[in-house]
Amino acid sequence: MAVDRPTSDASAPIIIGDQARADELLSPFGMEEHPQGGFHGLLEVIPTKADYVLDLIRANSLWPLLSGLSCCAIEMMSTATSVNDIDRFGMFPFRASPRQADVLIVAGTLTTKMAGPLVRLWEQMPEPKWCVAMGTCTTSGGRFKRSYSVVQGVDRVMPVDVYVPGCPPRPEGLIYGMMKLHELVKQRRGEWRTYVDRGPQRTHWEGDVR
Amino acid sequence: MTKLDPETRIPDPIELDAIEEARLRAAAGLAPIRSSTPEYAGFDQVGIPDRPPQTEREREVYSLEEGEMLINMGPQHPSTHGVMRLVVKVRGEIVVDIDPVLGYLHRGIEKLCENATYTTVLTYVDPMDYLATMHNEHAPAIAFEKLYGIRPPKRAEYIRALVVELERVSSHGLMMGFLALDMGGLTPILYAFINRDEIVDMQSAISGQRMLFNFFRVGGVNFDTNDEFLSRLGTWRGHVLKNIEMNERMITDNEIFRARTINMGTLSGADAISLGVTGPNLRASGVPFDVRKAHPYSIYHELEFDVITQQSGDSYARYLQRIAEIKQSIHLIDQIMDKMPHGPVQAQVPGIIRPKPGRAYAAIESPRGLYSVYSISDGGPNPYRFRMRDPSFISLQAMPKLMPGRLVADTMAIMASLDPVMGGVDK
Amino acid sequence: MGRRRALSTPALAGSLVRLLTERFGSDLRDLGTDEDTVEFTIDGARNIEVLTALRDDPDLDFFMLADEAAVDYGLDAHFEVVYHLFSWKHPAWLRVRARVDRSDPRIETITHLWEGASFHEREMYDMMGIVFTGNRDLRRIYMSPDYRSFPQRRDFVLPDDAADSPAAGVNPLERPETWDLSRFGDGSR
Repeated sequence: MAVDRPTSDASAPIIIGDQARADELLSPFGMEEHPQGGFHGLLEVIPTKADYVLDLIRANSLWPLLSGLSCCAIEMMSTATSVNDIDRFGMFPFRASPRQADVLIVAGTLTTKMAGPLVRLWEQMPEPKWCVAMGTCTTSGGRFKRSYSVVQGVDRVMPVDVYVPGCPPRPEGLIYGMMKLHELVKQRRGEWRTYVDRGPQRTHWEGDVR
Repeated sequence: MTKLDPETRIPDPIELDAIEEARLRAAAGLAPIRSSTPEYAGFDQVGIPDRPPQTEREREVYSLEEGEMLINMGPQHPSTHGVMRLVVKVRGEIVVDIDPVLGYLHRGIEKLCENATYTTVLTYVDPMDYLATMHNEHAPAIAFEKLYGIRPPKRAEYIRALVVELERVSSHGLMMGFLALDMGGLTPILYAFINRDEIVDMQSAISGQRMLFNFFRVGGVNFDTNDEFLSRLGTWRGHVLKNIEMNERMITDNEIFRARTINMGTLSGADAISLGVTGPNLRASGVPFDVRKAHPYSIYHELEFDVITQQSGDSYARYLQRIAEIKQSIHLIDQIMDKMPHGPVQAQVPGIIRPKPGRAYAAIESPRGLYSVYSISDGGPNPYRFRMRDPSFISLQAMPKLMPGRLVADTMAIMASLDPVMGGVDK
Repeated sequence: MGRRRALSTPALAGSLVRLLTERFGSDLRDLGTDEDTVEFTIDGARNIEVLTALRDDPDLDFFMLADEAAVDYGLDAHFEVVYHLFSWKHPAWLRVRARVDRSDPRIETITHLWEGASFHEREMYDMMGIVFTGNRDLRRIYMSPDYRSFPQRRDFVLPDDAADSPAAGVNPLERPETWDLSRFGDGSR
């Protein structure tokens, strides 16, 4: 959006509130004041562009929830620290509170006892939010699929956007999954949200909250 | 909920809210939310539905006196080292009692192992204590070799000891980082992970995996050492002592670190033995028990090393103990590299083994203490019973002894000094 | 403390075996040794007596409880609670196997001897359903309080257990024609 600024006063900031100079300031952007008040012109197309810009901003500063379940959490921490440095993608601030987080990286085996608290965390996160299933345990139950106390895939209890296979995935794998998530975020993730139906859905096990 | 007494103290806004809520509910003809039975009062605060306490201990923790309240930490909490839940009973800012609630990562590994063949058991035990994966495989491998009646080749034993000691250095290094992190120092964990990544690169060069190696076999190890591993080991050995010294300089004499660890969470030797605390935590309390010396397994009877102990038994001693053990491990690695013989790394063992009926017990010294496996064979291809004793699970019992009388913020620091890993705690 | 040698032959356990037969005499059953372990079986009702003697006798001095585990020997047999003990004076692990009746699985707690037995006993109660009388905190430790079965017992079968499959020994996940999808994920097991 390379538009020349007004030549008359190049250093003056554009203040829409300055009604007297509005035409002069806005004409380089192809806008003019509407006779019935307000502005029209290129401004009308800005809402779609604002969404695009917002998606771009969202995609490049996703804040994950600081939540690790088991082994994959160590590789997630390794991804966050200096050697692999996920900060390059604007993702360093791992938030401890779900209210401040955008992404839930489910890192590790989800057990029936933990399913309730995890769903509650997911529900506490504000929209828009995304979920990354890290490791084979969270995608399908992995090596613990036969166990009596393991949820066979986190997509049984919450929608998942990106699956990262591996046991545990290498940090590079998680970074690749995060770049896929960036694409997803930029493409309006609504259509992409998966909720795999594999058998009867269950969100509550015996005494799952406690 | 305790009764409000305006004469003795300033009313608590939460209590005022509760009283107002009770008044509104009564006006609307609804039943009061909170039950009036005293032993249920604590249950209400941490979200347990009304039920009578199941045990004496539960009644003790969840019944509240005047001025006490319960705080729920976890299972999602940034510094509980995984998915552990602590119910902390506090009076103001002082901890009165603590009740660890476990099982949020219980994956039923023992049951899965009893349904797997002896060779595949070694893959199931990997995620137990996920900072000491090589140790997790070591004890079952020894137990199955006892059952099957074979001995691994000498070179395999040396490679085992080598990777196990490397893992110990990595695990203790991370513990130092986490301990500082739980007191608010972010920098040491970054350095700790740089050191860990070097060791992980070595391990992935020799085993092909970064964390869950599946490197041990019944009767040997999977691969011999290779050039990449040896060159990485040489580079690492060149600067590891300098790195440790730098970490030490960053933490050991830090005034805040000392203030929050010295005389915190003091555990006496007798208490530690009674509570089943083992490993560096026990040696920090002055008891020189190390399975590598007490019941030498593998090739540890051929190597020279000291069992170091500390006297004070507080968090600071547990931290110093880790540093001393890292240095001992590096000393051991030097000896292993000097003495390593040539030869095969794997005995001739079929893919599915059927040991004769019998029992075997194998204990090793993991970075968190005595890790043991008790395996029973009935002559079939699967273990009839496969039992693992994880040191951090047992060490957690020390928490109700260590925490009372401390500030809430110190519970995390004391817990980090015990260095539990939830994968091992919950199996 | 000097370097200790691994017990390579049962002969090295001779002094311990002699001491044990002196102290307990005919109470010991199935006294045996293997590579580095000495083991014997006792009656479940006598566990406190035997373990107290093992801990407090100055010649035996088994001061440390290394492990406490439970074994299920099948529906028509018994449970066993297995204690592994350590002493500086003897170069062997001592394994004490205490028999517990399967129809009434009760045994005395040892938390007054070693406080650290508490979590072991809670785990055994959770996984095997053995009741330790006198334990102050016998709740489920891994599964949630309203869980109703004991997963480590032999009669608790995993949903796709190889032993349970039509072709014994082959995991039915590898044979799609045997998949019984109604048994997957309903959680009623």
